[in-house]
Amino acid sequence: MNSLELINVRKAYGKTPVLDDISLALEPREFVAFLGPSGSGKSTLLRIIAGLETADAGEVRLDGRRIDQLPPGDRGVAMVFQHYALYPHMTVRGNMAFGLKNAHVPPAEIAARVAEAARILEIEAHLDKRPGQLSGGQRQRVAIGRAIVKHPRLFLLDEPLSNLDAALRMRTRLELADLRQRVDAAFVMVTHDQAEAMTLADRIVVMNDRRIQQVGAPMEIYLRPANSFVARFVGSPAMNLLPVEPVANGALVRVRLGDGAEVETRVALNGFGGGTLELGLRPENVEVTAPGGGTTDAKVELVERLGERTLVYAKLRSGDEITGEDEGNSRVRVGDVVGLRIKGERAHLFDAQGVGHHAEAGA
Amino acid sequence: MNRDRMPPLALVLTLVGAAAMVAPLVWTVLLSLKSNAELLQDTGAAFRGPYTLENYGAILKGDMVFRWLLNSLIVSLGTTAGVLALSSLAGFAFARLDFPFRRTLFVFVLLGLAIPEQAVILPQHRLFAWLGLHNSYPGLILPGLVGSFGVFFMTQYFRGLPRDLDEAAALDGASTFQIFARVLLPLTVPAQATLGVFTFLGSWNAYWWPLISATTSDRFTLTVGLASAQANYAQTNGLGYLMAQAVFASLPILIVYVLFQRQIVNAIGGAVK
Repeated sequence: MNSLELINVRKAYGKTPVLDDISLALEPREFVAFLGPSGSGKSTLLRIIAGLETADAGEVRLDGRRIDQLPPGDRGVAMVFQHYALYPHMTVRGNMAFGLKNAHVPPAEIAARVAEAARILEIEAHLDKRPGQLSGGQRQRVAIGRAIVKHPRLFLLDEPLSNLDAALRMRTRLELADLRQRVDAAFVMVTHDQAEAMTLADRIVVMNDRRIQQVGAPMEIYLRPANSFVARFVGSPAMNLLPVEPVANGALVRVRLGDGAEVETRVALNGFGGGTLELGLRPENVEVTAPGGGTTDAKVELVERLGERTLVYAKLRSGDEITGEDEGNSRVRVGDVVGLRIKGERAHLFDAQGVGHHAEAGA
Repeated sequence: MNRDRMPPLALVLTLVGAAAMVAPLVWTVLLSLKSNAELLQDTGAAFRGPYTLENYGAILKGDMVFRWLLNSLIVSLGTTAGVLALSSLAGFAFARLDFPFRRTLFVFVLLGLAIPEQAVILPQHRLFAWLGLHNSYPGLILPGLVGSFGVFFMTQYFRGLPRDLDEAAALDGASTFQIFARVLLPLTVPAQATLGVFTFLGSWNAYWWPLISATTSDRFTLTVGLASAQANYAQTNGLGYLMAQAVFASLPILIVYVLFQRQIVNAIGGAVK
């Protein structure tokens, strides 16, 4: 049985549609991340699942039970808010116990559940403090604890790490990964941080423009983006997308760049209706070499040294911008002309509708 | 304000202003400590001895002052409690609930701020006569409960509280009333304190409505009672006695002020900003 199921969910604010016919099903105990830019509808979808917004049409089911007409407290979900939303006048213990009291859980069990959650999250020493006396990281743990004690069937995480500093974010990410192993529940996390989505989620739901663009495992999203939006949005730095012309040649597509250089891809020719194409290349598949030593040459505009590798932002003779990669101690400088060796076997093609076509499996 | 950085001129002006405010109070206290017979000959006697507590003794020995004090306390506390309860409920409703004509009703509340007491005093008097509420505590308390200011003030305060809290509480299974009473209301304590102090002071000092509504001396509030005693000053009771009554009447206000100084200063500071 599916854990969470969304069936044809629609939502509009007045005349502005924000969600367009969203359907999705989660496996039991699955961790799914909604990834998308601001305004993509991902937060609205999370709030519809929580019951903080009502959908205009469609159904929400949890463990087979329809929940979209139930009040938020009766849905079997718990939410961790971006800004924690702890009750400032209650102690940590009071914050965690509040929902259980409302559900008329016996006091002895409340105490046991709070103690257990506090132990897992290492906040036992803070149980009698108020949120105002805690650091950001501690507050985040309390917010997570408040969700854990309810023993929900589904955890909803709204940008849970966005308010933490880099070191704490890394640590909390690991803790969330650990938490999901301990609890028997599914997770839905909203984020615009792809690293978070890639590391935590079993599957990523990429959203843009009111719709689901792609649903897939993190590496599937990275390696086989369904369309040019996903290709651009997932991966840092973004995938190169270059306008190309197809050159008919056998069963696999051969394309010509704006500067005349040709790239042999492993993308099958069938399925193309002609028209303009975009060649998709991850920067790691564009290797910087000596001038004349690669597929084509380009002029370096910016060099970003990351330590273990160097990113080289360059411009082809046609004016198209392209990002390539060089080794960590690269000697490339701004203004240099360099050669670029394009790994055509790793290239993607996007047709006029933006739909992605990828190298044949095993190629 | 940082006291260390106050410019000397501002300090001097503040001191002059403070002296001007305090001088009448000091004079009142000094007058209250003089025998009436001496003051009858020369009010300047207030500035030299001998001083006596005989006027305060006379107050404590009977008379209606304690009754009026009790009336003022009942009316002021009743008004304050009522205003806090009604303003909080209405403020929550305007800030958080969705109901028909919410915006229109709020505009009416704001209009209420612009209507002076004088404009409604006649119909109000007729209404309370018809209800038979003159010369009663409800008659003195009820008109004070319908102020626009409290509703407006609490609405703004509730609006300032993060909605995340309501939503977290809803997910915690709280009903709308529980969200109000257990999550948001405790966070409005600073606003309640400010509104409460202002309402109490306003009600304690109220003069016109109690003067009109309470016509028997056993229902007078302190302000009305003291004013009625003023009619025969310098004849039987004397100036010193009158001043002692005034000091006596001010004591509860002074106590409230000392207890809630911070809230009062914050409220006035906030209003000026």
